[in-house]
Amino acid sequence: MTSARRDDLLGDLFRTPLDPGYAQAAARRAAGAPPPRWGRAARSVTLAAVGFLLAVAYHQVVAEAPSASRARDDLVADVRSRQRTAEDLQRQVDTLRTQVDQARDDALADASGAATLRGLAAGAGTAKVTGDGAVVRVVDAPPQVDPVTGHAAEENLGIVLDRDLQDVANGLWQAGAEAIAVNGQRLTATSTIRAAGGVILVDFKPVTGPYDVAAIGSPDLADRFSSSTTAKRFRRYVENYRMQFSVKARKGLVLAAAPEPPLRYARPPSPSPSVSPSPSGGRR
Amino acid sequence: MIAVIALAIGVAAGIFLEPTVPLALAPYLPIAVVAALDAVFGGVRAKLDGIFDDKQFTISFVSNVLVAALIVYLGDQLGVGGQLSTGVVVVLGVRIFSNAAAIRRHLFRA
Repeated sequence: MTSARRDDLLGDLFRTPLDPGYAQAAARRAAGAPPPRWGRAARSVTLAAVGFLLAVAYHQVVAEAPSASRARDDLVADVRSRQRTAEDLQRQVDTLRTQVDQARDDALADASGAATLRGLAAGAGTAKVTGDGAVVRVVDAPPQVDPVTGHAAEENLGIVLDRDLQDVANGLWQAGAEAIAVNGQRLTATSTIRAAGGVILVDFKPVTGPYDVAAIGSPDLADRFSSSTTAKRFRRYVENYRMQFSVKARKGLVLAAAPEPPLRYARPPSPSPSVSPSPSGGRR
Repeated sequence: MIAVIALAIGVAAGIFLEPTVPLALAPYLPIAVVAALDAVFGGVRAKLDGIFDDKQFTISFVSNVLVAALIVYLGDQLGVGGQLSTGVVVVLGVRIFSNAAAIRRHLFRA
């Protein structure tokens, strides 16, 4: 091989793919050099190593593929179990609350006072209520499927947004609803309907479609909401974006109580007299 | 014949021992496999050419794997790991292909 050729690395590579060592070894053998005695063993060991390497690499690739999905499954199971725990705790809270209410009613000697309290709690959303009303159902539009490629379109304008649920809830309040729940989540004066990462959260709990907004109100609640501007707008969505929307009058709705809002700043006064404000007060 | 048996033993060992590759060595594995394949194809071609040499084969295998691993390591340290690995794969791939072509010519005369 000439030195001019040696410079051309890539060309050299393409022209002489075989290790020149083989040719040299052959030449040495032809010249009379004895082949090494350990040759056969070395060859066997090398080939065993090659086979081992191939098997290990195959193993590795096969083992790697499901690990990602396994991690995802683990996470999903984790989420499910946490959700179950949360539901159990919520049930516990509900039973305890009923007990508390019962105890309070018993303690309140004044029957009319207890009734007032119950009425106020029902209105504020912290007590279970039942009655006739309407159920508004909004459902995401099915994704547009391209008839040629069969792929779903990436953009779906008929997805129900947090804003839509807010509009429905506000429309129902406007139509005279006295209690509203979204997918069983009771709304109160401090409830929020928000979106986070494409999921709608009602009071920070995720709700998924189909969205049922149940409201208790006057017998003509469904009719009044149906003729409202909100309902008209949703009918337009149905026509344009294939969202699903329906308003139905329903009898005997039962709406669960909303969780009691936690006190963030206010505290019940402690019974010790040192905390109670002194009569002279305002010394600072 | 011995070669085939040795290869089968190696594969069987890999399957039955189920060794777990340490995480630090995982990036070297694919490159090592390509390097090993290059050595094997070179060896087969040499065998068909009638110039096979045990010493040459063994040393080419070991050095191929070591150099390939070294290049990947170096690339990692320099922050160009992917590109250097690609370079190794391209060079070895070219060699594997032309060796395979030579083997094909030997076997099928085409």
